[in-house]
Amino acid sequence: MPNYYDLNVHSSPECEDPPERLVSVAKRCGYTAIAITNHSNLWGEVTGEGVISGIEIVADKISGLRKQIGIYRPKVDVLLVHGGDPKINRAAVENSEVDILAHPSHYFNHILAKFAAENEVAIEFNLDEIIYARGVPRVRALSAFQRNLKIARKFDVSMTITSGARSQYDLRAPRELIALAGLFGMSEIEAVGALSETPWNIITRNRKKKRPGYVMDGVELL
Amino acid sequence: MKNIPSSMRERKRYIAFEVLSAEKIDRSELINELWSSASSLLGDVGASSCNLWVLDFDGRRGILRCAHDKTAMVRAALATINRVHGTRAGIRVLGTSGTVKSVTEKFMRQVDYSKDTIN
Repeated sequence: MPNYYDLNVHSSPECEDPPERLVSVAKRCGYTAIAITNHSNLWGEVTGEGVISGIEIVADKISGLRKQIGIYRPKVDVLLVHGGDPKINRAAVENSEVDILAHPSHYFNHILAKFAAENEVAIEFNLDEIIYARGVPRVRALSAFQRNLKIARKFDVSMTITSGARSQYDLRAPRELIALAGLFGMSEIEAVGALSETPWNIITRNRKKKRPGYVMDGVELL
Repeated sequence: MKNIPSSMRERKRYIAFEVLSAEKIDRSELINELWSSASSLLGDVGASSCNLWVLDFDGRRGILRCAHDKTAMVRAALATINRVHGTRAGIRVLGTSGTVKSVTEKFMRQVDYSKDTIN
């Protein structure tokens, strides 16, 4: 069985539940670790067993986004950008310091996909929209997911699936997320990769960069 | 009325599940919520073809029956349950199996995810 990671979970102080509680529920669901990615306006450093330090950067302007990336990049292992705005989506995929563009909504096209593939920015399928919305909003979310999936496949953009959990009751086991991803056409192999391989690649890449003596990919001071 | 011969009955899968909730959940409330989320997600046609039935539920763990080729859809429908009668809740599937006996033996006593498959 692969190691599963959920890369978008919110804990206290942003939400109610402490990270330890979320980790223990996630472990019972079958996750190896979860990333605590509180929004940058409510961020506090969270570490511990089973926790990957992360952040979801919220910005309304491109300059603010760049500034925040500069501040938080050395501190975290997973850096998400709170997407959904056309300009922010574009700025996020153009920046190779960004790991994941979170919920790009329907503002994702072939041009953004090319940048995302080039800069190794993964796009997120945040399934909380399917879990919580009912009726028309959920239909919209599903059709945006279908479209983004088609574009991401074509340009070979890496994909991640997350629960976007805001409490212990929001966490869903990997197999449930895979079944939900199947609703908008993602195959089981793709979904397993999006929950295990892609997150693992992001984490190892960033941990390598944090090592002392790291210069660039393949070059290290010994 | 005579029973349908076993060879003509629908094939089934049994899903063992666990509810994580703030308060104890009532069986009938869970069934209501399950039906409403299944018909909301899959539509009336899709939900009817799933053949859903809750066999057993003790407030925390339970067994659910569904059509053998619809387990992925049922899993998705279970995942969309986030509240039961106003109480925050989340459902976790412990495992699926072809008979009540094996699902009880495999998943209701101790959970072993390596034996569980998506379909």
